[in-house]
Amino acid sequence: MDRNERIGENTVNREDLIVKICGSAGDGSISATEILNRAVASMGYHIMNFDSFPAEIRGFGKSCGHTRISKNPVRTPGDKADCLVALDDGHSISELKNLKSNGIIIYDSLPPSYRDEDTAVAGYIEPGMIGYGVPLRELSTEATRSAKSRNLVSLGVIATLFNFDPDAFVRAISKRFSGKKESVRTAVLEAFRLGQIFTSEKISKRDAIDFERKAYPREGEYIIISGNESAAQGCLDAGIRLYAGYPITPATKIMEILAKKLPIQEGVVVQTEDEISAVGHVLGAGFSGTRSATATSGPGLCLMSECINLGVMAEIPMVIIDCQRGGPSTGLPTKTEQSDLRIALYGASGDSPRPVIAPTTVAECHSLAMAAFEISDAYQTPVILLLDFFLSNRIEDIVPDPEGSARWGRFPDSIAKPGESPYKRYRITPSGVSPRSMPGTPELLFTATGLEHTENGRPNYDAANHKTMTDKRYAKLDALRNAWSLPEPIGDAGELDVGVISWGSSAGSAIEAMEILRERGFRVGGWIPRLLMPLHEDALEAFAARCRCLVVTEMNHSGQFADVIERVVHRPILRIAKVYSEPMPSDDIVRIVLGELS
Amino acid sequence: MMHEHYVIVGNGVTANAAADVLRERDPNARITMISDEFHLFYHRFRLPAFLLGEASESSLCVRPVSYYRERNIRLRLGQEVVRVELDRNLLYLKHMEKVGYTRLLLALGGKPHIPEVHYTYRHRFSTFKTLDDARLLRSRLGSIRSIVIAGGDLVSMRFATSLAKTGRNVMMMLASEAFWPLDLTETIREECIRSLTAKGVDVIDSDRIVGIDSADEQNFEVRTAAGLILPCQYVGAFFGWRPQVDFLVRSGLDIDRGILVDEHLRTNFDSVFAAGDCAQVYNPGIRNYWVSIGWPNAERLGRVAGENMAGGALEAGQAPQSALEVEGIQACTSWWREHGSE
Repeated sequence: MDRNERIGENTVNREDLIVKICGSAGDGSISATEILNRAVASMGYHIMNFDSFPAEIRGFGKSCGHTRISKNPVRTPGDKADCLVALDDGHSISELKNLKSNGIIIYDSLPPSYRDEDTAVAGYIEPGMIGYGVPLRELSTEATRSAKSRNLVSLGVIATLFNFDPDAFVRAISKRFSGKKESVRTAVLEAFRLGQIFTSEKISKRDAIDFERKAYPREGEYIIISGNESAAQGCLDAGIRLYAGYPITPATKIMEILAKKLPIQEGVVVQTEDEISAVGHVLGAGFSGTRSATATSGPGLCLMSECINLGVMAEIPMVIIDCQRGGPSTGLPTKTEQSDLRIALYGASGDSPRPVIAPTTVAECHSLAMAAFEISDAYQTPVILLLDFFLSNRIEDIVPDPEGSARWGRFPDSIAKPGESPYKRYRITPSGVSPRSMPGTPELLFTATGLEHTENGRPNYDAANHKTMTDKRYAKLDALRNAWSLPEPIGDAGELDVGVISWGSSAGSAIEAMEILRERGFRVGGWIPRLLMPLHEDALEAFAARCRCLVVTEMNHSGQFADVIERVVHRPILRIAKVYSEPMPSDDIVRIVLGELS
Repeated sequence: MMHEHYVIVGNGVTANAAADVLRERDPNARITMISDEFHLFYHRFRLPAFLLGEASESSLCVRPVSYYRERNIRLRLGQEVVRVELDRNLLYLKHMEKVGYTRLLLALGGKPHIPEVHYTYRHRFSTFKTLDDARLLRSRLGSIRSIVIAGGDLVSMRFATSLAKTGRNVMMMLASEAFWPLDLTETIREECIRSLTAKGVDVIDSDRIVGIDSADEQNFEVRTAAGLILPCQYVGAFFGWRPQVDFLVRSGLDIDRGILVDEHLRTNFDSVFAAGDCAQVYNPGIRNYWVSIGWPNAERLGRVAGENMAGGALEAGQAPQSALEVEGIQACTSWWREHGSE
């Protein structure tokens, strides 16, 4: 009798599955999720993975790997999981609210001792849910003499239960443990195998999820990469020579990657004593004509604001990557939020224009990081690249940019040539961009200062001069706006029932919500700019004019982008601005919009 | 103030009737129902109709989840009690969790019984008691042409006639012990044969199974004492039910064939009650125990148990409904009467 017959019901071929592996920090939830990602991606499935973990060290707090597996490209990690693997009962109980009402729970059926009432996750299995008890600890100990490989046993269960190709998992596990001793590799593969055997022999399948070992071979190359890894690669491909940073979640990974890779291309990574020093290093490097970057999070961006302002005033190229997290202050280091928009756009004394760019996908973290350097050099200005915890840490399978650094890795041609006389570092031009010189170049000497200055850089507090120079700095934004491609509206053409505006990492949820609304018969369009400062206001007004209901979605409390939009469109906006701490659920957008339309 | 925590082991008609009464009597109490079955409370007698596709799975459900949520009754489904410590008011669940209670009702029902004489080939029997059994059989039904039903308790009557209606070859081997606690008198027996034969069931009388061979997991050959060999694709065990009390062995509870309870349905532990198919109820009138079967009896006893757990002192009362009718066959619940008349 085969497995499907034994369950006494028809299985269905699923091509979209959300798996959550939950444990205590150190239980291997994240490692297991990484292996799961690689295994299914090698079968041709698209993935989006987003882990959540505590800010504290091993042994404290909940650590959750969340992966969506789909035949089709994935825009969001999805809201509620189809399957929860409970490596730790206590933490998993709090995850049950994130499990679908007919979800599956894989739990340890043989812990070392009886648990007190209401502390076992299996005790919370509600009608409609499906629980599979597996002696995770026992099988792990049998394979590796340790309970630490419970995560790998659970992968054996997942592979068998949902009918994935086990060889893909074996390859992914082997790769993950390739640096370990042969005995370790054998043991971990045995843990996986025991999970498979137990499932096929002891579990009566009651769920209807079956991937039929289907594979969707891909054409061409793909890589599995996080937003931070993608942004770091963007820095490398843009040809930076200096990265200076102070560790902060969730930006630290960028420094870790560059610390390994930047020296290979003769660059330097400096871990500074604080964020002020880091941005100071970057400012100095930019001043001397060296591409450089720093990455930080909200608290660090606050500290950096003074130097960024100096960069604006002295017109010094520099790129600051802000991986946003929950705030204010130290806030929620390992939770996602899009609440640094206001400080990124305006956080400075005086009128301090600076381009702000927000990628919406892991692939864009790479391409827009390179674009940030291009813009920074072309317009001689600090540029802020806005990621967030979700985008920084989510993992996607992407096709590498074939053009790589070839497209962006060039310096602009606004370099002054000796002989220009008199040399004016801040000469007024229609674009606001003046001929730049490297400090110390004979005949092209100049003064750089944070004080208001004349065209040749000398301090000057005259009102007319201040107006001229302020206009010059803002003219650069106009020039950039004209040079940057217009954001193309997506979705339906013509008059719209709903127009959805979003930015950054929550754009995926917005697009998914649009698709759901369109399936329900509404005419829906979207406007998702990547260049947030300067904004393409004409294009925005044109889009807004087509929409009966205009919605702005973002993950912050006050509607920071909605404020920006409202000032342009001068009409009521449906603000979906919430602090979820986790990726914005597309269902939430749909529910709120439908409520508005009804 | 400490609230009561009423735990009911079971999710059948007795258990649900008790839960209803407990909630009426004690609005603030915690009520937990624990069942090893994954399904919501369902109509067992509709399983044959479900098997044949005449009833949907959802139509089997007696109560939706919302019923319990609205009454703040916690359902622990698919959770099996494997051990009890009644002197410490503790239940031990298979998934390694302890659950405490202040009052406990054991409404365990019964499980299909396969006589010891069939022990060596018992794994080739299938049972038809639960929704899972019905689901499994339904998924295989297309490949089943011949069926042997061994035993022949009351449940099997509707099962056999339902399948015979579909044109399948249904053979039934009656065994008198299968009717416990009912009494298969000669009159009822003859009535059974007449009724079943009229409905297309091939009744094999005065013979018994001595072995079941199988070439594969789909095809069987049933051997009988009279030398018959009956090829079939399904061998159903319908030897009646037995109280599901295995896990209570060495618990300190007084157990005979079922859990012995007094006329108030209280066991020998003050805080522990039992009702339904799993209980043998003391009748002071006859000074002996009786066992009830059938939905109305089970519901009535559930309500009595609920009342008494909440502090009442109702008696289980007279003997249960004295006759059941299945497929037009009336059978007396005479087990207690036999003993009572001694």
